[in-house]
Amino acid sequence: MLKSRLLIMLQIAAFLVASTAGTAQAAVIGNAEHFAQQHRSEQLAAIDAVLAREVVQQQMVAMGVSHTDAMERIGALSDAELQQLALNLDTLPAGASALGVLGALFLVLLVLEILGVTNVFTKI
Amino acid sequence: MALALLTLVTACVSTAPAPPREGINELAAVPFFPQTEYQCGPAALASVLVHSGVATNPEVLAPQVYLPGRQGSLQLELLAAVRRGGRIPFTLDAGPDALLSELRAGNPVLVLQNLGLRSLPRWHYAVVVGYEPANQRVILRSGTERRRQERWGRFMSSWARADFWGVVVPARGKLPASFSASSMGPALAHQEAQLDAAVARAAWERALARWPEHPDILFATANARRQDPEPEAAAVLYRRLLLQQPAHPAARNNFADLLLHTGCPAAAATILEPVLAEEAALSASVRDAINSTASDIASLLVDNSTDPVYCRALSGDLPWP
Repeated sequence: MLKSRLLIMLQIAAFLVASTAGTAQAAVIGNAEHFAQQHRSEQLAAIDAVLAREVVQQQMVAMGVSHTDAMERIGALSDAELQQLALNLDTLPAGASALGVLGALFLVLLVLEILGVTNVFTKI
Repeated sequence: MALALLTLVTACVSTAPAPPREGINELAAVPFFPQTEYQCGPAALASVLVHSGVATNPEVLAPQVYLPGRQGSLQLELLAAVRRGGRIPFTLDAGPDALLSELRAGNPVLVLQNLGLRSLPRWHYAVVVGYEPANQRVILRSGTERRRQERWGRFMSSWARADFWGVVVPARGKLPASFSASSMGPALAHQEAQLDAAVARAAWERALARWPEHPDILFATANARRQDPEPEAAAVLYRRLLLQQPAHPAARNNFADLLLHTGCPAAAATILEPVLAEEAALSASVRDAINSTASDIASLLVDNSTDPVYCRALSGDLPWP
């Protein structure tokens, strides 16, 4: 896992270097670009979009999404979103349900539940 | 361990803001789709999408958002699925205040809750549809419960552990209630490329109707009109913006480019001229665009040539500095 992430980072770095050299010139300033100037971090995200797209697609398929579905899902994501997913697909919150709490954690959670901090054990 | 736990407990409890005094009319019309195992993402998403007028259901949405390897659905993919449905997702940026103002405006809010701990999260999606002040209960479409009631404080701490992530999906042509002009601009612009052009255009026009003088909204709506393409309608907005902010470099550039492409190179040159002098102070991308427009103009503008008569209507009588 760590190795593959390192590889992704390296690929992205290489891509960054390659793509910043020959940025295409456009005569019109688009909305995304205009608002990106106000939020500089978004600009960086846009640069490695092509690579991010590839990485996310591979990971989605590895996680059980069909090729066709993965392509369609990626098409609906923005460059910045794809870049975020490329590095964090396995750690970002995945909303599911409160079912499936395991063994040793049960006691800790039960205590917290009684204290009113969590609400894991209500129906889903 | 005990000390750590205590700190954790106090930290969690203190995150909940005070409950509102007045009730909020329950949005009883928001449909409910009971979730099957791990499928609260598609279920909650179907709830808000159908409420916004999209014909869909969790079975249709599951292949768009469910990630088998994670046994759940990611936030970003829920947003993407909303766009695929022809609606615009708006991620709330003001926590509990935004939640309440959206509910008051009749918009259900899809929320991410962390039902576990920060260090041991249990992520869950639900849809907030109302609040009852009498017993301080938040009303949700959640899991297998059509009308789940959660204590205000308990709901708030679970929502705080998910960084108050919430999404509103307005009906077509409508905007969320809790956004300001300055938060609306980036919220729309950052996903515009993934939206149907007509959907994006309608949203910009709606934003313009609400904030007719805000520079970012003027600029963005002008660009959207220009792409449609409606050059006259776009020119009206560029002019309105330049009257307000004569030095706006991006507006001058795009207006000049529009004039150039409608056959008015002389007017384009007049509009662009003031920014050429201040070029050095601009960001690299704006400077590139301006230089590119300037060279386009130079290649089309023959010595002392004048524009056709119709150009006057496009460029207007701006007070040229």
